[in-house]
Amino acid sequence: MISHNARHGETPERVKFIGLASIAALLLIAIGHQANSSGREYMLVLSVFATRFLGIFVEAVPFLLLGSITSGLIETFIKSDDIMRLLPRNRLGAAISGAFLGLVFPVCECGVVPVARRLFTKGTPVSLGVAFLLAAPFMNPIVFASTYIAFGFGPVFIGRVVVTILVAVIVGTVIGAFAKPEAVLKPIALGGGREDHAHCDHDEPSTRVKLMGALQIAGDEFFEMGRFLVFGSMLAALMQTLVPQESLLALGAGPIFSVVFMQVLAYVLSVCSTVDSFLALAFVNTFTTGAIVSFLSFGPMVDIKSTLMFTGVFRRRIVLYLILLPFVMNLLAGTVINALLGYV
Amino acid sequence: MTVAQRKHHDAANGIARAKTLILFGMGIYLTLLIMTGSLDNYINQRFAWLVVVGALLFFLLALVNFYSSRNTAQRDHEHHHHHHHHHYHVTWDIVLVVAFPLLLAILIPSRALGIEAVNGGVSLNPVGVAGVSRSPLDRNILDWLREFDRAATPAQFNGTPVDVVGFVYREPSHPEDGFMLARFTLSCCVADAFPIGMPVIADGAGDLTEGEWLRVGGQLKASAFAGDFLPVVVAEMVERVDEPAQPYLYP
Repeated sequence: MISHNARHGETPERVKFIGLASIAALLLIAIGHQANSSGREYMLVLSVFATRFLGIFVEAVPFLLLGSITSGLIETFIKSDDIMRLLPRNRLGAAISGAFLGLVFPVCECGVVPVARRLFTKGTPVSLGVAFLLAAPFMNPIVFASTYIAFGFGPVFIGRVVVTILVAVIVGTVIGAFAKPEAVLKPIALGGGREDHAHCDHDEPSTRVKLMGALQIAGDEFFEMGRFLVFGSMLAALMQTLVPQESLLALGAGPIFSVVFMQVLAYVLSVCSTVDSFLALAFVNTFTTGAIVSFLSFGPMVDIKSTLMFTGVFRRRIVLYLILLPFVMNLLAGTVINALLGYV
Repeated sequence: MTVAQRKHHDAANGIARAKTLILFGMGIYLTLLIMTGSLDNYINQRFAWLVVVGALLFFLLALVNFYSSRNTAQRDHEHHHHHHHHHYHVTWDIVLVVAFPLLLAILIPSRALGIEAVNGGVSLNPVGVAGVSRSPLDRNILDWLREFDRAATPAQFNGTPVDVVGFVYREPSHPEDGFMLARFTLSCCVADAFPIGMPVIADGAGDLTEGEWLRVGGQLKASAFAGDFLPVVVAEMVERVDEPAQPYLYP
């Protein structure tokens, strides 16, 4: 799996330290520069940044914990085989059930790739697997809850549901029409992929041991995902603190450009779907609604970290389609939403 | 155990300890936020229960992490080799990044967003939909802006009494004896904080410092203010007050 591959080419610890230290230094310089140019006191600007950053983090972190724990529980308790037998085999039906399968496997985008790989190795139709891969990170109760808490039941919430399902079903059907399972997965992932539960099957451990194992995985996942939340919150807070409102409005007003901007941002930030709503809030006052919806529906489908995971499982051409098709379709959806809501 | 194995083992132990410490520290931090009330500086009160859940889950994960890392250490000691069942390999740089919020929380005193956080002006438009109408003297700045929003004409409020709390915000376009009394609104958390305000005319307004918190009593009168024609508070009483315990208004 990708984390293991990454370990072979590991960056030396010292280089990472220097990298982190320079990010921190740049941060302080940026805040200092802003304080100078606006005549505001350095400490005051720093404290505004701290309040904004901690606000996003504190509001988001319970959801990240719930997501990590769910992921750990799925890893240790759920077997996919039984559910698989109940699902339709025709292409469109499979794509639609794939889009809703997240409600049964509540995974976020980090957990979705291993589960999708397992589904493929069980001979799942391609359209189902792809639709599941794209929709599942949003189609789950925890992400519904965080989106609802951030935005209430309004255009953003409804838009996110509709766009996610539509894009997942269409991309699933399209890729399913053109590709056979052998053409989707890398040979290593397809043939005799390591059974995730292999070591558990020998001597079935007690529920208590499994529960401890699940919570331990949850702890690790919290760290693994937490860094993306920290970077994402940092960027959002910096932007709100340092970039003048006029510049943000200029970026966020274009009915098409604002959507492109937010989708690229979603890709780069790689924030977990359980918490991305709270980052999107930072853009609500300055960006079009279509851009917010596209940020929220595209981000969970594809981002830097899921691309890395994709490349470990899927063939290169499929990875490209998995990025480009959702990008274009979400862009289209965001633009249509902007047109419907009258942003011109 | 070879030297390389021991080194790897020590590093893994150090990281396991750091993880327990951070998980536990996060739990303590969230608990302190709730107990001291500084949570109100960050998120809408309505969602405080989520932070309680977060604190409990952090303590749970800290405990599990503590016990399982102790067990792993013992097992390693007995078998002289290292088990790795985890999917994720948490390294020092990840641990440091995740510790950043704690560091910030310890180093920088907690403060609510105030005048320094106003970026691009204070809005005269209300946020959200109007709820139940309160009696005039109970209305806060958000309630007033909502009343103005659904009124037929600014003049219909002439003579209505006002008693509101907010901080002083100034722009060059404001008259010499005028300023805006502002508050941040918060729907979810500070990420969506949005400054709104009411125009005020007061004798001696020039002596007020921008950003300081005031309680202003007076009457409304439709007048021209910074190029708009709108209800303006004509102050009869201006009193310096402490920042309220709940600094934000919740739409």
